[in-house]
Amino acid sequence: MTVSLAPAPTDAASSKEKPALAIRNYSLSYKTDSGLVTALKNIDLTIKKGQTIGLVGESGSGKSSMAWSVMRYLPPNAVETGGAIRLAGEELLDYTQRQMLDIRGSRMAMVFQDPSTSLNPTMRIGEQIAETLMRHRGLSKIEAFAYAEAALARTGITRPKEMLTRYPHEASGGEKQRVVIATAFACEPELIIFDEPTTALDILTARQILDLFNQLREETNVSALYISHDLGLVSRVVDEVSVLHHGVIVESGPVDEVFRRPKADYTRQLIGAVPNPDRWLGVDAPNPPKTLVKLDAIGVQYGAPSKFQKMFWPDDAEKAGYWGAKDVNLTVRKGELLGVVGESGSGKSTIAKVLAGLQDFHGKLEFDGQSITSRKGIDKSYRRRVQLVFQHPDASLNPRQKIGTIIARPLKLYGVVPREKVSARVAELLEMVRLPADFAHRYPHQLSGGQKQRVAIARAFAAEPDLVICDEVTAALDVSVQAAVAELLVKLQKDTGTACVFITHDLNLIRQLAHRIAVMHHGKLVDLFDRDDARSPARDAYTKALLDAVPVPETLAPETITTEA
Amino acid sequence: MTRGYLIRRLLAILLVLVIVTFAVFAITAILPGNAAIMILGEYATPDAVAALQRQLHLDQPWYMQYYSWVSGILLHGDFGMSLRLSLPVSQVVGEAFLNSALLAVTALVAVTIIAIPLGALAALKRGTAVDLAIGLFSYLGTALPEFVTATLLLVFLAAPNSGLFPAGGFVAPWDDMVGFASHIVLPAVTLGLILLAHVSRQVRSEMSEVLASDYIRAARLKGLTERRVIRRHALPNSLAPAVAVISLDIGYLLGGIIVVEEIFAWPGLGRLLMYALENRDLPVIQAVTLLLATVYAVSNLISDIVIALLDPRVRYA
Repeated sequence: MTVSLAPAPTDAASSKEKPALAIRNYSLSYKTDSGLVTALKNIDLTIKKGQTIGLVGESGSGKSSMAWSVMRYLPPNAVETGGAIRLAGEELLDYTQRQMLDIRGSRMAMVFQDPSTSLNPTMRIGEQIAETLMRHRGLSKIEAFAYAEAALARTGITRPKEMLTRYPHEASGGEKQRVVIATAFACEPELIIFDEPTTALDILTARQILDLFNQLREETNVSALYISHDLGLVSRVVDEVSVLHHGVIVESGPVDEVFRRPKADYTRQLIGAVPNPDRWLGVDAPNPPKTLVKLDAIGVQYGAPSKFQKMFWPDDAEKAGYWGAKDVNLTVRKGELLGVVGESGSGKSTIAKVLAGLQDFHGKLEFDGQSITSRKGIDKSYRRRVQLVFQHPDASLNPRQKIGTIIARPLKLYGVVPREKVSARVAELLEMVRLPADFAHRYPHQLSGGQKQRVAIARAFAAEPDLVICDEVTAALDVSVQAAVAELLVKLQKDTGTACVFITHDLNLIRQLAHRIAVMHHGKLVDLFDRDDARSPARDAYTKALLDAVPVPETLAPETITTEA
Repeated sequence: MTRGYLIRRLLAILLVLVIVTFAVFAITAILPGNAAIMILGEYATPDAVAALQRQLHLDQPWYMQYYSWVSGILLHGDFGMSLRLSLPVSQVVGEAFLNSALLAVTALVAVTIIAIPLGALAALKRGTAVDLAIGLFSYLGTALPEFVTATLLLVFLAAPNSGLFPAGGFVAPWDDMVGFASHIVLPAVTLGLILLAHVSRQVRSEMSEVLASDYIRAARLKGLTERRVIRRHALPNSLAPAVAVISLDIGYLLGGIIVVEEIFAWPGLGRLLMYALENRDLPVIQAVTLLLATVYAVSNLISDIVIALLDPRVRYA
């Protein structure tokens, strides 16, 4: 089948020059109740053999739609309104779904964002890799498993044979992503689409996966489309980048070129929003420092045996449970912003729960002179003075309540203002977080992600607390929104003098905000330092590893600021 | 699943059964009036009443009564004598249990074979006419009371109109396999129609969720055939809630299907329980209740084990 618009090829010789993937003037819309909604408009994108192209955009930019279009895996309400998508010169739009079945997994493969959801939880890892080989390479079961083992070994899994027999939940996040990558590379495809492959991983693991990606790319000469919202990260792995905004490619070119001399306004805006540790957003630290909260040898044991268990199965009781946090000594000063950094499972959220009075703990908590030795000792006035903002505003705002009701709740609960002044105070609070006062009559689902997080912040500040704990409050937001929310938080902190514990895995962001940074690892506090000392040689080895693993466009960012000016 | 877990579960079942024995026993003790008079009627002679009281140990304190009842069961497997049938309770209840079990197993196997694919099909064709038809059919089965379904089946499929199947009765399979098969069809179909929605709806809702999951998308993007995606990836992940429902249905099938057993004259536990209640045959009531509680507890344990086998992430410790 020759659908190519290019001059008739004389096969063998010229097939080399055909790009691995060519997208020409491609447009896509979705049928919705309110008519056709454009997702992609006149997209042009070329990936040469062995090349990696980055596609960068925020949520809703259409970057995922692009991936589904290439894989020919579109929802039923998708309407393609013209253009071409060619894999090595073959027009994919002309292929039936049946024909695509043979191409998917064999000539084109995909690596997904979250390895913990993209592997079948009830199937052994070996079968999940082998089934692709059996399907596309016609291998027998034994051959396929041997190949699978080799594929796993190539991705740096130390005991591949053993890994084949495991279930996904028996492997770590990084191992799972290696499995997904091994599956994608198994049939030696011409093109692999990476859809945010490191977003769901921890900092150090993400770094290893990126290194693996670069290594495999050299070994196999595969062509790749690398989709991400993270500019800093993309600059490390791709040759050329295209920036997608509202379904339109606003800029493309070699990655250095785009970052150093962005032409489109939107690109500049994106680059400006990337957290740059050298750009200080915070306020001056309160002077002299006064202690607000002191954690004294705080420990949290999860799955601790109950009294009943201890009585009947004393042997099991010894083994049961693990320490989510152990021997943590930490102070939070009045008016400061303390960053708490660590990977998932490091105990950073455990500490947040202890501070918020949601978690039983061992040890002693001193709050403004008051000594608390158990969760039951935490009273209502403590709960008013310590507020919590969660990661997902979707989950922390009651979908059936109006914004006004949500923000008024702490006002009424703690009697912060007289009843008749509640609605006026709600309006003030909304204004404080830079939302229009009439948002009080809306429901959470009518707001964007960033707006919802502002509401959650307003609710926390409504109680007029002394300490606000922010648990990954920016993690679920887009880069540009992230920066705005962080700045808002800093401003509120400055205006109210509230102390803030900011829990995050984003080292670049926290270095922009925090006065001091605490690093947690395996439930222990391994490092605590002033922000200026982040690069000091006195840092813990783990802190250094974390800092080194973060993709910072350090050399690029300052220059862009000057370009902007 | 550890051995410790199994032992703990079995101990828990034992505890439940002990509590059930007390509850069952309390009924007889708490019942107003004199059980002997209630059984014999208000015109019974004092001699007859006294004799029956001795026979029932009603003249002894309650804990002695309880002790002799429980020790009879534990030491000799003796549940006492039926007051009305003049047969050992264990024999009467044992036969009825076997008959009920035959019907329950047949109905459950049929439901499982039909409802799981039906639920899966509904999930795959979600929102289409096929889905709607399956939903409507299975809801009708559940919504219509047993006696309506049974009557309709009798009118259309049984004698005298069509005579395809006998209208009622029971033939033991070891006596006459063909006769047994023809007698079991109508009651099993009636029960199957009732349970169809339970299972197929569970499979449908779980499978819809599974089909929308990332790993199914990943499986499809590996180029696997639709058949493999459904059978190997989607279906095994969709069965756990259905297994839980089936285990609850087992209890219903054994004791709660009084109407169906009555209509088709099936000599099972439900019918026996009804008879025993009407005639105040206390030893039989006690034994049947205890047996049903055991069945519920054991089938629940089995369903937990099956769910653990289906999903390696489920860990009981």
